[in-house]
Amino acid sequence: MHLRRVNPFKEILRPLGQLLIFIAGSAVVISAITLLLAVLLRPTRIDIDILQTTLVLLPQVLIDGITLGFMYAIIAMGYTMVYGVLEFINFAHGEFVMFGAFAGVELLIWLNAQGMLKTAELGLALVWITLAVLLGMVVAGSLAVTTERLAYRPLRGAPRLVPLIAAIGVSFLLQDTMRFLQSAINGDFYRTFPEFGPFAQRLTLFTVDMNGRPIDVAIQYKAIMLIAFGVVMLVALNYLVNATRLGKAIRSVAQDQKTAALMGIDVNRIIALTFLIGGALGGAAGVLWAFRFTRVDPYMGFIPGLKAFTAAVLGGIGSIVGAMLGGMVLGLLESFSAAYFSIFSRGAFGAEYKDIFAFGILILVLIFRPQGLLGGKTTQKA
Amino acid sequence: MSAQATSTNRFLQIFSGPFGALLALLYAVGVTYVLTLDPRSLLGRLLLFSALALIYFIPQRPAVKFLLGAMLVLMVVPAIGLRNPFLLEIGFQVAVFATLALGLNVVVGFAGLLDLGYIAFFAVGAYLWAFFGSQQIWHVDEPPGTFTVYATFPFAAWWFWLFIPLGILAAAGMGIILGFPVLRLRGDYLAIVTLGFGEVIRVLANNLDKPINLTNGPQGITPIQRPPLPEFLTSPELLATLSRWAGRPINANDVYGFFFYFLGLLILGFTIIIARRLDRSKLGRSWTAIREDDVAAVAMGVPLRRTKLTAFAIGAAFSGAMGVLYAANRTFVSPETFSLTASISILVMVILGGLGSIPGVVMGAAVVTLLNIDILQSLSLQLSSLRQGPDLIPLLGIPWKELPTQLDPARYQRFFFGLLLILMMIFRPEGMVPAERARLELHEEEGEAIPDAELEGDLAPDEKLAD
Amino acid sequence: MSVILELTKVTKRFGGLVAVNAVDLRIETGSISSVIGPNGAGKTTIFNTITGIYKPEEGDIRFDGQTIVGMRPDRITAQGMCRTFQNIRLFHNMTVLENILVGAHTRTPSTAWGAVLRTRHFKQAEEEARQEAQRLLLYVGLPRGLGDQLARNLPYGQQRRVEIARALASKPKLILLDEPTAGMNPQETESATRLFRKLRDDLGITVVLIEHDMKVVMGISERISVIDYGQKIAEGTPAEVRKDQRVIEAYLGRHAESTTISMH
Repeated sequence: MHLRRVNPFKEILRPLGQLLIFIAGSAVVISAITLLLAVLLRPTRIDIDILQTTLVLLPQVLIDGITLGFMYAIIAMGYTMVYGVLEFINFAHGEFVMFGAFAGVELLIWLNAQGMLKTAELGLALVWITLAVLLGMVVAGSLAVTTERLAYRPLRGAPRLVPLIAAIGVSFLLQDTMRFLQSAINGDFYRTFPEFGPFAQRLTLFTVDMNGRPIDVAIQYKAIMLIAFGVVMLVALNYLVNATRLGKAIRSVAQDQKTAALMGIDVNRIIALTFLIGGALGGAAGVLWAFRFTRVDPYMGFIPGLKAFTAAVLGGIGSIVGAMLGGMVLGLLESFSAAYFSIFSRGAFGAEYKDIFAFGILILVLIFRPQGLLGGKTTQKA
Repeated sequence: MSAQATSTNRFLQIFSGPFGALLALLYAVGVTYVLTLDPRSLLGRLLLFSALALIYFIPQRPAVKFLLGAMLVLMVVPAIGLRNPFLLEIGFQVAVFATLALGLNVVVGFAGLLDLGYIAFFAVGAYLWAFFGSQQIWHVDEPPGTFTVYATFPFAAWWFWLFIPLGILAAAGMGIILGFPVLRLRGDYLAIVTLGFGEVIRVLANNLDKPINLTNGPQGITPIQRPPLPEFLTSPELLATLSRWAGRPINANDVYGFFFYFLGLLILGFTIIIARRLDRSKLGRSWTAIREDDVAAVAMGVPLRRTKLTAFAIGAAFSGAMGVLYAANRTFVSPETFSLTASISILVMVILGGLGSIPGVVMGAAVVTLLNIDILQSLSLQLSSLRQGPDLIPLLGIPWKELPTQLDPARYQRFFFGLLLILMMIFRPEGMVPAERARLELHEEEGEAIPDAELEGDLAPDEKLAD
Repeated sequence: MSVILELTKVTKRFGGLVAVNAVDLRIETGSISSVIGPNGAGKTTIFNTITGIYKPEEGDIRFDGQTIVGMRPDRITAQGMCRTFQNIRLFHNMTVLENILVGAHTRTPSTAWGAVLRTRHFKQAEEEARQEAQRLLLYVGLPRGLGDQLARNLPYGQQRRVEIARALASKPKLILLDEPTAGMNPQETESATRLFRKLRDDLGITVVLIEHDMKVVMGISERISVIDYGQKIAEGTPAEVRKDQRVIEAYLGRHAESTTISMH
């Protein structure tokens, strides 16, 4: 591995640029396909104008897809980093997300009970949210490190399926542990994200005129917040991995553990740190998830975890840039399929099929391009 | 038999020789006595299980062990079951899940392919009979919840017997359809894809109540017909005799309890024989070979894809048959039964018992099923009865009454499954009753291999090796 | 003499790396030949390409007059070609006898149905396969009682022999041996060499070796092909190859201290 001087600005601007390209690219492609479908299906419906409905919904669907995409991308980082270092699918990552979400939500519920959230205007509300995200990161990160130490490290070097099965065990154990804790303390196992601040307000971007009907294209403060958090987190991770000594150590362990150990790198410490970073990102994503969907329960991490894994594989597992792209594509696809599936199929197939859609993509990618969209040759040239 | 290896245990040596056989018989009789004193006691059921396990492990001739075991399973259980039908219900469920676990064992234990969506094949069998064995066919055009009840069924109840082989075929076909595209994937990817497939089947079962109502969605399909009982089994004379023995009125519904118990055992018996014979055949050797080293296996002429597909199809077939039986037994199926937790619980059975070990897997299935439907439930019942009383929880000093119902042990299956999986993987990956071959294997490091995608000449072996 | 295996301009690439570059190879029926070359020259890749584990990008491979490019490895084995591996790839947790029985896969006519129903045909086929496996065990010079041992518990030299017995079980016309004497002491090497010759003389099997031990190569081979950097740089009888300037360069030029060639 050759040394190169790191230009901090470049290391911040590059991931920003990549993110922008990924978002714009996948949004344009998916929108175009959807509109094409709408045009084709237009003659089949006389009760409503499919094209118009599609267009009216489009901005909101895009925003939903992008926020979802950021969350998938952040969760996918945990899978992809651990996979890069250990070639191991950390099945329990979704549960780190869940623990982070509970930590953040509990903090906010407590603050709310103290009356601290009542008066919050935007600035203060931001502080509280950030605190909750940070707490989620601390809790999920520590949990990830503990799990690695207790359950995964003793299995390093065992046949591939052994740690995978243990990870399934960890996933189940953590779900019911949280359920037990919540039930014992609160009597029930789900919690709700307290409503506070001006996040529900909408910022009108512009107004379009559709057949004489003015349609506001607006974005919720909440969505702006989610996107902002996502950008900060992904850029920070990119910087950490590409421009710091720690990042270099992680990359060399990912490349070849034995050689890295010979070069004086403490492999166990680096693996633990990888889990810490991945877990912390997962915890942050958990709080954001709770912010977005308001309800948290012990089983909430499973499906997002599975989808984030899909995103990681879609982008090319082991690649951080790939996980960003995979997350975006999957988030957008899911939001589009949830919104339009029912309209296009005259209500025969509802939004429930969005999960099938995601798994279908996973299966197709694994079969036809297991190295992912950005895997294989492309990353080597880059 | 692999029991010999474990029987070096000094405790089990007591049970060797004619005296030992007598001792085991005495234990079995003692257990029976405890059960006759209180047919409903959990302790009695656990003792019964311990007696069966003991009989398997003791150093006796297979014929002696078989005789002792058959005595307990074929005579004691039905006899006690007359007074406590729950025992038969547990026996039936153990038979069902042991068969499923044996099927998964063919896939995971013999062929080394981790399938996390195995319950889907069970669902295929169950929904097959649920659809044809109920009135669902006549409901396909009605929106859910607006059913007319008809007096007759499209297929008479005796069709059940034909649907057992059909369920086997349907599930095996499903196994092949799923296996065909995904079997070229590497082990851990295969696990995730099969998990996704299991979820897809469940989502479909949940949502295929529209546009046409095939599954009736989350409400599930009911009533599903049970196979007709032979007339002599429901004759008033027989029922009267049975009632006299049992000391309680026995009706046709109780007879069904016996019927399903024995039918379940019969299918389990067949499954054990088939799994055993396959394991010791050319096909079984091929499975082991691809699990151990797939490159060497193909180089020796073992067709990789076909061998894996056979494992998938045969594993699926076992659970397809049981699915049909299960639907008839419950007279009701809903998507809930086919959750990921169910898939994992079967995996826990296989791993707890011992990957690749037929007796181990059956024992694992018995333990997990007992834990699931008996031990945890009994604890929950105990708790709720405590909740009725005025007592305080020791140490905490809070009245039992205030303990949230959410803390019922029966709700924490996943906790126990998870713990079992982790502990087994760390401390005893070969399981309680290790297979002869796998004993050493799981502690070892895997040899380096040519990437799987390179294996078959018909795959494009392009850029794989470059990275 | 008829030709049993013929490679014409076979090229195998991995990404940008050309591992095998336009190699021609002719193996005559009933001969003993060797493929030699420095470490990393591409010898094992040639074996992997011949046996169908890799698919060549260019060129043709004919076995028994029929092209086998793109054929699945198990089909190629069924055609009568089998191999051993450089880093012994036995099925470690199967017994020695079971290992040999897997080798006999394509020659055992028993079916899954037969196994389930225990038909007479099944029992007979299994019994015959077992006897044949037992016979092969003795043929490669292993003691009779070894059959029930787990393959992993055998010493190295015996594992090599089991691997050869496993390959023989497929009744090959051509056997490819990848460094079959690596890690053996001189006595073991000598008796292994006798075995290779016996395969040809008694059973009429064509033998191709990849080998580093020049004593073995020069002693046994009728023809030698020399590979370097994925290309064939020389070919001929042992005497011809020994004198070839390019061969000496290939070995001495780069591997002067690591490779000792005793060309006596």
